[in-house]
Amino acid sequence: MSKHRPSDFPAPVAVKPTFLANLVATRKVIVVCGAGGVGKTTTSAAIGLAGALAGRKTLVLTIDPARRLAEAMGIPAASREPARLDPKRLPPELAESKGELWAWMLDPAVVFEDLVRNLAESPEKANEILETRLYGHVSKLVAGMQEYTAAEALHSLASSGKYDLVVLDTPPSRNALEFLEAPKKLAGFLDERVVSLFVPKKGGIMWAASSLVSTVFGKIFGAGFFDELKVFIGAFSGMFSAMREHSAEVRALLTSSDSSFILVTSPEPSALAEAHFFQAKMRELGVPLDGSILNRSYAYTRGLVRPETVKVPEGATSALASALHKLAKLADLEVDRAERDRRILAELVSTAGGGFAIATPHLGGAVEDVAGLLALAESLVGPDT
Amino acid sequence: MGASRTEDADSVAARLVNGLSSLRAVLVTGKGGVGKTSVTAALARSLAASGRRVLCGEVAAEAESVSALARALGADRASLEPETVSEGLDLVVLDASSGHRAFLRDVLPMRMIADAAMSSQPIRRFLGAAPSLPEMGVLYRILELLRLKDGNEDRYDTIVVDLPATGHALALAQIPGTLLEILPGGPIVDAVREGLDILSDPKKTGAVVVTLPETLPVSEALELLAGIERHSIPVKGIVLNRMPKNPFSRAELAALSDHAAHLSGVLGTRHVARVGRAHSALDRLQKHGADLLHLPDLDVEHDVVTGLSGHFARRDR
Repeated sequence: MSKHRPSDFPAPVAVKPTFLANLVATRKVIVVCGAGGVGKTTTSAAIGLAGALAGRKTLVLTIDPARRLAEAMGIPAASREPARLDPKRLPPELAESKGELWAWMLDPAVVFEDLVRNLAESPEKANEILETRLYGHVSKLVAGMQEYTAAEALHSLASSGKYDLVVLDTPPSRNALEFLEAPKKLAGFLDERVVSLFVPKKGGIMWAASSLVSTVFGKIFGAGFFDELKVFIGAFSGMFSAMREHSAEVRALLTSSDSSFILVTSPEPSALAEAHFFQAKMRELGVPLDGSILNRSYAYTRGLVRPETVKVPEGATSALASALHKLAKLADLEVDRAERDRRILAELVSTAGGGFAIATPHLGGAVEDVAGLLALAESLVGPDT
Repeated sequence: MGASRTEDADSVAARLVNGLSSLRAVLVTGKGGVGKTSVTAALARSLAASGRRVLCGEVAAEAESVSALARALGADRASLEPETVSEGLDLVVLDASSGHRAFLRDVLPMRMIADAAMSSQPIRRFLGAAPSLPEMGVLYRILELLRLKDGNEDRYDTIVVDLPATGHALALAQIPGTLLEILPGGPIVDAVREGLDILSDPKKTGAVVVTLPETLPVSEALELLAGIERHSIPVKGIVLNRMPKNPFSRAELAALSDHAAHLSGVLGTRHVARVGRAHSALDRLQKHGADLLHLPDLDVEHDVVTGLSGHFARRDR
């Protein structure tokens, strides 16, 4: 039965395990991406904590943190700006490191409003835009708004110089890299050419096209709404070139050596398929992918022992003995899975063309408290024993 | 677990698939990573196997060469026009642009103007990014595909839609409200109302929510269910995917829990904890009242879709 013994377990799999420790200590931006449901948000929080433990002033930008973890860490739910997390709630190790952990749950409406206020010619102009009936809808509903917001927040916070390290938890898009393309998409929507359809210069090149637009939109939206739209877009028109500049700057920042992309995946075939897709997409976009984290896998077996080594206490019921017997079968299964997951890790490295790959320990269920987060953070950057 | 506490999984599967088989639209929804695409593919296959002419669709911006749904159905790609993947089962990418084109052709006086509008880059960009218009395009595309005829008969009995993880059923459900708030009236509002009539009719539409037997996914599924119902889309079933097997008797579980202190770091105990969490997940979801189907945790090396289809199809025996 017991074909495996504790000593049979190889060291936990981590190809170049100190690599992540190096990244959290040196980079300005770490972007955490991956398919939905692989534990990206929790991993981002753990990387942020690791950055703070490395003595840096670290900000984690997150979209939709698991509520319990957010509560446990003391991340305020609706905040207009990043908040420093109360060190009393965080591991005591943080105090010795002199690092700080900040977090901000991104709210697209807030980020967009700040953007309007920063870019408008004058406070009056900003108010004029913010008070239009359509503004409330646009800020909430423009497609890709979450992605745009993430990129915009990254732009303003990473370039503010207030933080040593910004960790960005990317929105759970179908395509996790959408946020890189979202600014382009939004800028496309707010493109001068689109704008000139609504507020054309007389006799300009768009005049003919814009009469088509009048026909089409007047017909489908009704004339009154079309006029309202014209006023609204006209009010925005001065800000578009600045927004396009931001999106170019974000791209430049993200493709520079100050930034790192880390891919999070789980051993699920669907998650792995997405992971390989991301790898290809990242190469195509010229984004620096520095490593992968395999979550919810069995590859990490450090410190685990076989059920056969458990001493049955005296006076224990026969149920315990039979339960341990069954546990041994489950242990065999786990060992098989561990081997499978190690192969997956090795493959992640080879398909990425290098970099590191780390398996996080299987902490059971979801990480819902600071202790769990610390365990995760330490396993990500800790020395390989 | 399960069978002793609830009715047999096969009979729930039978009732679920039977309940879906008279619908025109089945919306499969849930967070990312819960196996939604596999469940979509398995449901589509089962419905096709029962004799329905099924169109299976996924929402995307363009034809997909790396479509997870195509992979799940054994096809090599998904296109903007339906393509047959197996008997009685077609696959399509539901894109907003095709919907916008169809819509413009329907409302504008001349087809020529609609085509000119759709070939105008700025207009396409506007339709692709303005509030709710992309979702409206997808909705219109679904309606258009449901209206397709072969002679006098509908080409498809049922469309099974794999909704995107972020823009899940709620995004579709929210369009009418959003557009009605923004727009005073007109053809868009009419088209959306027509869509909503179908979406909120329990004889025509059913949502299936897929989730995992873990604490957080179940909380999220319960929120999603409440949201879907608030927008009056009928919920036809909940699929609890990847239920772990429980080899232990009640007494054995109690013994393991009594000796938990001795068992930390012991291989195999993670599975025991998972069984416990799955147990409470099942309890929480059962309170909702919709048909609750739990699917076994198939080994990842297996062809999950074939396994699941077999599970759904067992009703025939």
